[in-house]
Amino acid sequence: MYQLLLTKRYLSSKIMPLLAALAVALCTAMVIVVWSVMGGFLVMLINSGRTLAGDVSISWPITGFAYYDDLIKRLESDPTIAAATPMIDTYGLIGLPDGRTETVQVQGIDGPSFSRVTGFGDILYWRPIDRPTEKDIGKQDLRLTRHDLWGDLLKGGLNLARIERSKANPQGTERPAVVLGISVSGFNFREPWGFFPGLPMIRGESGEKKPVDIFMLPVDGSVTLNVLPMDSKGRAIEMVARTFPVANEFYSGLYEIDRKRVFVQLKALQDMLKMNRAVKIENTGGVKVSANPDEESFTSAKVVGESPARVTNVLVRGKQDVFDTRDADALATRVAQIYREFAAAHEGQVPDSTTIRIQTWADQNATMIGAVKKETALVLFIFCFVSLTAVFLVLAIFWAMVSEKTRDIGVLRAIGASRSGIAGLWVFYGLAIGLAGSLVGFVLAYSVVTNINAIHEWMGQYLKLYIWDPRVYYFSRIPSQLDPGHVVIVLLGGVLASCLGALWPAARAARMNPVEALRFE
Amino acid sequence: MTAVAPPKASPLATSASDGPILHAQNLRKTYKLGRIKVPVLRGVDLQIRTGQSIAVLGASGSGKSTLLHLLGGLDHADKPSADAPPPSILFKGTDLLKASTRTLDTFRRRRVGFVFQFYHLLPELSVLQNVTVAAMAATGAFEYWANRSAIRTRAMKLLERVGLGHRIMHRPAELSGGERQRVAIARALINEPDLLLADEPTGNLDRNTGASILDLFSDLHRSGQTMVVVTHDESTASRCDRIVRLVDGRVQNS
Repeated sequence: MYQLLLTKRYLSSKIMPLLAALAVALCTAMVIVVWSVMGGFLVMLINSGRTLAGDVSISWPITGFAYYDDLIKRLESDPTIAAATPMIDTYGLIGLPDGRTETVQVQGIDGPSFSRVTGFGDILYWRPIDRPTEKDIGKQDLRLTRHDLWGDLLKGGLNLARIERSKANPQGTERPAVVLGISVSGFNFREPWGFFPGLPMIRGESGEKKPVDIFMLPVDGSVTLNVLPMDSKGRAIEMVARTFPVANEFYSGLYEIDRKRVFVQLKALQDMLKMNRAVKIENTGGVKVSANPDEESFTSAKVVGESPARVTNVLVRGKQDVFDTRDADALATRVAQIYREFAAAHEGQVPDSTTIRIQTWADQNATMIGAVKKETALVLFIFCFVSLTAVFLVLAIFWAMVSEKTRDIGVLRAIGASRSGIAGLWVFYGLAIGLAGSLVGFVLAYSVVTNINAIHEWMGQYLKLYIWDPRVYYFSRIPSQLDPGHVVIVLLGGVLASCLGALWPAARAARMNPVEALRFE
Repeated sequence: MTAVAPPKASPLATSASDGPILHAQNLRKTYKLGRIKVPVLRGVDLQIRTGQSIAVLGASGSGKSTLLHLLGGLDHADKPSADAPPPSILFKGTDLLKASTRTLDTFRRRRVGFVFQFYHLLPELSVLQNVTVAAMAATGAFEYWANRSAIRTRAMKLLERVGLGHRIMHRPAELSGGERQRVAIARALINEPDLLLADEPTGNLDRNTGASILDLFSDLHRSGQTMVVVTHDESTASRCDRIVRLVDGRVQNS
């Protein structure tokens, strides 16, 4: 009982225990803030990655598989599945208006169904907006005005088509078009506070940014897409090039995607890759031989059948959210079951159910998620290691306090306090400091985490210090997520560190000879 | 007085109403100063009967405080040697020199009360808390919690008896030397000890204040308190029933 009384008195009457509590508070706050930011960063990355991947993907790369309409029908009739969409995933070259040619990931999609599965519609950038984005103080965002134009672009983006109007045809006609990642063209420069002002920009000779007011890519620009069709044995046939108008641009928040991905209308890409529905012909007559020995053609051909259209992927979205990887795995198991039935119905015409690749969003993003998780673990480890200084700070402060309180320890022993009682006093004191420090640390961390962007903004405004540059990190806001489980772990760690720091001084106090302690000057 | 903490059944609880409450024999204590051994006690015998007040008188360095610490279970005597009879401190039949650390802790909690020359109050605690802290150390948390009201009442009565009933919330730093010693006496008495051990209780006080403290000791003795007072002052010693003179680490009975 005297431990409680003395702990209370020691806590309120000395500056040293306050310093120990402050050390614990700062260390716990530091770890909580780091864990929250890294955790938030991971969640944001995962959500961004999931945005364009669906929950589960069925894939047969390069050559693709047929009868996907039947597969989608079977998938969508399952009660656990909300939607499914076909997709072709390949690589190609894009020729840009400024003469550059870049390698890109080209995905052929059916806009409306792809949007249902992946949320594609939500990330189309050029759309009418009613109020400026959070940091657009000067209202520079072009999307705030000319809503009719952006409305057309949004519609065009969703359907991957450019609507071309004329006086003769005011309703307009649709031309197959592409939707580029916002960083593909190189014309969109993001401001340090995280949004694209709207006017396309280019870099001048001395590196300064200049607006390009001649054209705007999604309004009147076009790009040339080059893809390489393959035959059924995976052999390249001949590069196919086609010029597409740009319908819109998308902003997923993941730079690798925004910089390297181009969406094109599914049917257009099927045509280019020779994956469209085609007739099978048979020679029923002779062969006409030309002067060129490499060229020959049938003189009379007969249609003998049809080759169905193919896609490389079918993306699936579950009815329930599958952020938890176990839920995603359960959905993938169900999808695999449905594919088995589908493969049995089309035996010999589609890839076997044992060889088809069925992956969850987590499997597809495993490299990225794994890297960020490892980075989070490493950063946490380093910060926890740094936080071990709290143990040594408490130890040093307690060591000094035990020395200062030597005579009190002698008095307590003289009035009957046992060695374990004296040790208990200091450990209890450590516990109290750990609790107080951890609680203060939590309040501090909570204040920082919930106001991290305001603090960052203030630092930028008054100290010209931008730690989180969205041009580098690709999220305009510093992500943070305070996980109650993590908070409890860190707080317990803070209390434990304080108790650990108190152990050695407590043992020293317990071992003191009471007579020598009473004589201590 | 209110019985606060009834003695638990322990080896120290043996009744010895007619015999000596404490009987020390052949106590030797040697300190080491580097490589040199300095014998302080060279075979001290001492018998204390219930209700008796004994003054241990001697010059500075004669081993008075060391003897008091041995009697109070705070220090250990030298181990027995082949050329000397074995030492013992029998308290109500239990040899403290052979007792376990736990038994000695219990002995200090329940059976003895210490009063030191420099008071040794805990500076962070109030007067009242300095007295009750000894009761806290003597009882478990639950026992203290159950009896806290009775303990507080007893502490208040003791503080009133030593003339400090009006200063219970003051800190030691706000008290005079005499007042601090009175608090120390109240603290020593809170657990109703069988034996009060005082080490130069007036050594740090002026004559008048010292006299008032000695009056308090006399008053306690008259009420039946057994006590040993260590002093180098003849007049202080003369107030006790018996004077034990320590000379060169040995007892010279007067």
